[in-house]
Amino acid sequence: MDDKKTAIKIVDLHKSFDSQKVLDGINLEIPHGEITVIIGKSGGGKSVLMKHLIGLLKPDRGEIWIDGQDITKLKEKELNEVRKKFGMLFQEAALFDSMNVLDNVAFPLREHTKLSEKEIVQLTEEKLRSVGLAGFGYKMPSELSGGMRKRVGLARALIMDPEIVLFDEPTSALDPIISLTILDLIKETQERFKKTYVVISHDILGMFRIAHRVAMLYNGKIIEYGTPRDVKKSEKEEVKEFLKATGIPGF
Amino acid sequence: MNKGRLSPELKVGIVVLIGFIILFYMSVRIGKYGALGEKGYELKVYLENANGIDSKSPVLIAGVEVGRVISVRLENFKALVRIIVKEGVQVPADSTVAIKTQGVLGDKFLEIIPGKDKKMLSSGEIIKTVKTSPDFDEIFTQVSTAAKKFGDTIGEFQGLIGDKEKANIKNSIENIQAITGEFKEIIKENKQGINSVIANADDALKGLKKIVGDVEAGKGSLGMLIKDEKLYTDVKETMGALKNISKDIEEGKGSLGKLVKDDSLYNEARDTVKNLKDITDGIIKGEGTLGKLAKDESLYVETERAMKKLQKGAEGLTESTPITILGTIFSFIF
Amino acid sequence: MINLFGLERIFNPINGILRELGGMGLMFLNSILLAFRKPLKFNYIFKQMEFIGVKSLGVVVITGTFTGMVLALQSYYGFRKFGAEGLVGTTVALSMTRELGPVLTSLMVTGRAGSAMAAELGTMRVTEQIDALIVMALNPIKYLVTPRVIASFFMLPVLTIISDFVGIVGGWLVGVKLLGINEGAFINKMVKYVDLEDIYNGLVKAACFGIILSVVACYKGFHTTGGAEGVGRSTTESVVISSVSILVADYILTSLMF
Ligand SMILES: Nc1ncnc2c1ncn2[C@@H]1O[C@H](COP(=O)(O)OP(=O)(O)OP(=O)(O)O)[C@@H](O)[C@H]1O
Ligand SMILES: [Mg+2]
Repeated sequence: MDDKKTAIKIVDLHKSFDSQKVLDGINLEIPHGEITVIIGKSGGGKSVLMKHLIGLLKPDRGEIWIDGQDITKLKEKELNEVRKKFGMLFQEAALFDSMNVLDNVAFPLREHTKLSEKEIVQLTEEKLRSVGLAGFGYKMPSELSGGMRKRVGLARALIMDPEIVLFDEPTSALDPIISLTILDLIKETQERFKKTYVVISHDILGMFRIAHRVAMLYNGKIIEYGTPRDVKKSEKEEVKEFLKATGIPGF
Repeated sequence: MNKGRLSPELKVGIVVLIGFIILFYMSVRIGKYGALGEKGYELKVYLENANGIDSKSPVLIAGVEVGRVISVRLENFKALVRIIVKEGVQVPADSTVAIKTQGVLGDKFLEIIPGKDKKMLSSGEIIKTVKTSPDFDEIFTQVSTAAKKFGDTIGEFQGLIGDKEKANIKNSIENIQAITGEFKEIIKENKQGINSVIANADDALKGLKKIVGDVEAGKGSLGMLIKDEKLYTDVKETMGALKNISKDIEEGKGSLGKLVKDDSLYNEARDTVKNLKDITDGIIKGEGTLGKLAKDESLYVETERAMKKLQKGAEGLTESTPITILGTIFSFIF
Repeated sequence: MINLFGLERIFNPINGILRELGGMGLMFLNSILLAFRKPLKFNYIFKQMEFIGVKSLGVVVITGTFTGMVLALQSYYGFRKFGAEGLVGTTVALSMTRELGPVLTSLMVTGRAGSAMAAELGTMRVTEQIDALIVMALNPIKYLVTPRVIASFFMLPVLTIISDFVGIVGGWLVGVKLLGINEGAFINKMVKYVDLEDIYNGLVKAACFGIILSVVACYKGFHTTGGAEGVGRSTTESVVISSVSILVADYILTSLMF
């Protein structure tokens, strides 16, 4: 574990909303070039943790180290430099309502690269094809199903080939078959480019398929962290219970 | 992507263009001198009293607008008024400037009365002669002729009106004339600020003159005039207003009041009012006898209007607050 | 303790109002400063100009025309009492250019475009679209607020001059064509008493109102919380605050200008 390069290092992260403690001392080292899956019960603070990683939320206390910088102390401008290395898929996709699918996916390219329009359209359509939405480029987000929106969001998160990609439940709202396709897509791209992926999921079965590491968030803390095999064998009551709830033998 | 529709840029462009065309059109229609580079030249005039003259007040020659005032400021205790005159309009060097009043709202404007000089004023020069009290004597001539005519008219009704009334009226007119004389002197001493009073009095007197003229011409409808309750109230209100002025004058209030602190003048004025009232009362008492005389509607209307004007004038005197255009407008609408 | 509570009850709302005011001021400054940082995306500005200007044109023209017509009718009955019907044109033109043109246009645009801005930004906030922008290392103020403020600033005067014009035409229709006021008097008196400054000051007012309504709408939208219901609340608040601020600002501007 120690010989691997660390992409993100979270140190004693605390966050409360009013009186509700959501993150209560998170310590986690996310290795470079691997897929780390964070599991935990609904409302446990997984999305909140992810938003801290990209500076959307400021912690009450604690540090987040990325590339030798504590991003919780950075100014907006410096933070934006860090953010350019990130891609993020939001839980609800967060597509821009005012743009069609193609413009949504092309948006980061248009804003951050000097590619020609033709190249942009080409890249975008390619990405859309890979998430199974070829030919949907000119639809508006409101004309798509939840699962389709999710996939557009995924295409948008990946379009810049970012160093670190955060996926907030990439397979929720998808049927089992598309779910598998998406998981395979994530795994393939990761293997091809060897970028750091952080994935949040409820889909335990699917996640164990792609994860290099699994972290379990419970009561605002990471109570278990290791390879899928390690986590499966965990002796901790909470982990056992969580895994048992999937109802699949072997877990 | 646009599916053949106009692009937002084009639509915005069209709307902005429409806006600019309208703005340009309105500016050209309204813009007069100076503002949008319309050509003209500047003249100056020193006034003893520029009360009511403002930047943008119109400048007229023979009733035709030829320019505007651009600024009014104090210089050596005189008002330096700069005016801009339209290119192509020439002003003889010996021209005279007068302040005049116009319109329902009593707007002031400058009238240039052209002189005979061959030499024309050029940019930056000063119009030297100023008629401080425009139509001063004219008005007083009018007052006396009007009064005389009034008297004559009454005289024509000699047969109808008893000797007593006749004497009364004659007495009043004599009084008026006497006061007029005294007024004249006082005003000569206090020319300042009296212009507005004169102007208003002028209006009223013109109205009166018209009535008198009409009555003289034999087309009057005195019966209607006299029987009308409302008119009577109007007259009474006018009298009331006049009385108020007198009172204000007595107390030294208002612009006139400040000027006239002389007790005797005040007394004279009060007598006049009393006398005027006497006349009215006399006419009202003679109700019925005069009634047979005439049936003309127009005189009645004319008289009513004259009375209203008189009343307005009186009100204008008591109120020294300037009436702005909008103020008046909105007080009428809302 | 009781005293303290009483104070708090007074201070909290004042504190809140001041904070919102400060927030709006900062947002305005930010949006203007960001306008000078490249790249300024003209297509965003044009899109907003189209939305605010072109799409509000219909409602502005209708309100303007009818306002002018009503003004003519009302002032006619007032002026007729003392035979000054000729001043109807002046009244219509002065009222339109100085007050009603800019104010009514801004209020209509507030209702039509301001509310939509607040709702749109509010929705973007609650559906994390604004977060998505931030995540892409893009400044949401620059992308969302700046174009709206600039577009409003430029389009409101354009709409206002159109409103002024159709209002005067409406007044002319009613005054001259319907009530039979002498056309010469109508036009001449109008031309005589209306000054360029009346028109220009009206347009300056409109530009200020444009800033007010767009900044308020963007601020309210930007700081939406609480889902769809929150979006509704932001929209309502933005319309109310904009309208009131426009009227208050109108008083201040009028007293400064005329
Ligand atoms: N902006 C916020 N303001 C107040 N409370 C918040 C906010 N965001 C999240 N919370 C609270 O933090 C807790 C964690 O929320 P979070 O969205 O991280 O859950 P999650 O683990 O992602 O759940 P799910 O799997 O259902 O998405 C929730 O109880 C929520 O009420
Ligand atoms: Mg979540």
